[in-house]
Amino acid sequence: MLAIREQQSSSDRAQQPISVDLPYPGFQFDLCLRNQYLISKGFKAPIAVKTGTTIAGIVFDGGVVLGADTRATEGEVVADKNCEKIHYLADNMYCCGAGTAADTEKTTDLISSKIRLHSLNTGRQARVQTALRMLKQMLSRYGGYIGAYLVLGGVDCTGAHLYTVHAAGSTDKLPYVSMGSGSLAAMATFETQYKPGMSMEAAKELVSEAIQAGIFNDLGSGSNVDLCVITSRGVDYIRPYKEACSKGVRQGDYSYKQGTTAVLETKVREIKFDVVSVTEHKMEVD
Amino acid sequence: MFNYESPPHSHTSIMAVQYDKGVLVGADSRTSSGIYVANRVSDKLTQISDRIFCCRSGSAAHTQAIADFVKYGLEMHSTEMGKPPLVHTAAHLFRSTCYEYRDQFTAGIICAGWDELRGGQVYSIPLGGMCVRQPLTIGGSGSTYIYGFCDANYREDFTRSECMEFVQRALALAIRRDGSSGGVIRIVSIEEGGIERFLFTSEDCALLQNF
Amino acid sequence: MDFGTGAALPVSKPPLARQFNPYTSNGGTILALSGEDFSLVASDTRLSERFRIHTRDQPKTYKLTDNVVLGCCGFHGDVLTLNKLLAARIKMYKHQHDHEISCSSLAQMLSTILYSRRFFPFYTYNILIGLDEQGKGCVYSFDPVGSYERETYRAGGTGASMLQPLLDNQIGFKHQNIPEQDRPELTADRAIALVRDVFIGAAERDINTGDGLHMQLVTKDGIKTLDRFPLRKD
Repeated sequence: MLAIREQQSSSDRAQQPISVDLPYPGFQFDLCLRNQYLISKGFKAPIAVKTGTTIAGIVFDGGVVLGADTRATEGEVVADKNCEKIHYLADNMYCCGAGTAADTEKTTDLISSKIRLHSLNTGRQARVQTALRMLKQMLSRYGGYIGAYLVLGGVDCTGAHLYTVHAAGSTDKLPYVSMGSGSLAAMATFETQYKPGMSMEAAKELVSEAIQAGIFNDLGSGSNVDLCVITSRGVDYIRPYKEACSKGVRQGDYSYKQGTTAVLETKVREIKFDVVSVTEHKMEVD
Repeated sequence: MFNYESPPHSHTSIMAVQYDKGVLVGADSRTSSGIYVANRVSDKLTQISDRIFCCRSGSAAHTQAIADFVKYGLEMHSTEMGKPPLVHTAAHLFRSTCYEYRDQFTAGIICAGWDELRGGQVYSIPLGGMCVRQPLTIGGSGSTYIYGFCDANYREDFTRSECMEFVQRALALAIRRDGSSGGVIRIVSIEEGGIERFLFTSEDCALLQNF
Repeated sequence: MDFGTGAALPVSKPPLARQFNPYTSNGGTILALSGEDFSLVASDTRLSERFRIHTRDQPKTYKLTDNVVLGCCGFHGDVLTLNKLLAARIKMYKHQHDHEISCSSLAQMLSTILYSRRFFPFYTYNILIGLDEQGKGCVYSFDPVGSYERETYRAGGTGASMLQPLLDNQIGFKHQNIPEQDRPELTADRAIALVRDVFIGAAERDINTGDGLHMQLVTKDGIKTLDRFPLRKD
């Protein structure tokens, strides 16, 4: 039975193209020359969505708190009013992203899967330092062309850790950090209010304050505050933690009466169809 | 204009000095991203092996990557040799890396440490990827302000405490004049007996006040 | 190279031309519309530059005479200069002609002033409102070099592309299958409510628009400034 089936499939194969190539892993640069040519002829190349962002994090007594705003911009226009900027890396670590939206998402996705494989191979939970090393080695290999500016936080067997990772691949380890276009506003809040050994509640409130400073004072940041609290007991992802400012209430009624849209022409077409009988087959599972 | 996307640089004041029993390496702690101080307490003194350190200046990403690479290479080397690496070896590993990628890397490195063969040593690996041993070397943008001070005050027969005072004053003077250096002063002493870290803030050092 | 490790490597670079850019955009949205016996001009109150907010309290409407108001935004330096120039020219007109300048004359004057800077223009978007000779509300909209026309409604500034289609639909009845005679007349109350609503929308999506809404209503009784209406502050 099996042999027959194989024969059949091999004869099928003969009529098909020899094989379908899998795409190569990694980036493809085959369109570079073409695009360069198009640009030289006056074509305007599309630009990637960059998120003017406020992201921040602090270490507190027993864990880390990460925070982010939720505005994504395309130039002067708000592209997304409630986007997610705190990305999952592993059960014990999360990563906030600023910069080119696609780069932050794909980079964290890729490292997340590498960490999963790493912890399956080793049979333990990965350390934050491990994720940091993977991120910085990947980013520095691309010399800053992957525009991911990250705040990495997590808890592992060696304690709570907080890092910033720059797109060029440099990293810093600090008790309180901020990144993105609103990082100055957020850092100003930390520099005046941070104290070592804060309680979880105080830490959450301080990060929220820092993100709100970005939301109100930086035009690239806005909407809500998202928080992610990571301790050795688990993760508390609060989305939204706070709505920094609410939408105005409209006074007018903008629903249209029936018939507002003009009917230009009406056409009725008969759809021909065959009745096909449908029978149910049980799937063979044995 | 603030731009968080400009890559972090260590516009630095770094130095390393040989004294009778070992070496001192010192640095300020400012990492800037354009006009913004991205880290005011950074550690530019990176440990490469038990008794070897490097002072990093230039692009933070490049020098961190180089230091990681050299540290790895040196560890492999000393495992093969079955003994601690020589400072000379470390310095030349830095040199060959910096030289090979000299048109891609922005890295000025000082490599210093202690080994059994030659005692305390200081090597300077500046931008182009050369390597030269000196009893005293200074680097980074802040160093231009203290050549005179170093020439006038350095002695070959420094004791550790004299040397510590010298490094501290030199770095404080550099930080005072150089806008892109700042924060605290970090110093590491490396001797046969081990390494020791020192930190001087504006409270410890009158010259550092308000910087 | 912004790096101080000693001697820089000799790297040959092509010569770089640097030019001073005298303009900057300070954001802001203006909107004007007119009815049978009134005209209305509105602006948000945010003054910004790139990702920074300079102030949350800078209305962009300027009273020119007792019944003419100018909505003016773009580069704030030019806005101030243009208004100073206009104020002087209005005073000169009054002394020369022995009467206050009319709205239509003022529109022509503004056009002339703008075109006089044809090759180094004022970077300003202008909308002038007032009442015409018959006492009807009028709106004149301008481009930065002086082309202008009378309209019934117009939006200008960074949020203009968001407001204009809404006004086209709600006031111009574009894409609405309603016969001319059945279209309701635009009252001042409905106009005010509509302006508030469209600004709420613009503040949602335009990062340069927000903080507050300033409105001035021109009727035969003169200019009335309406209460400040709050907008998003993020």
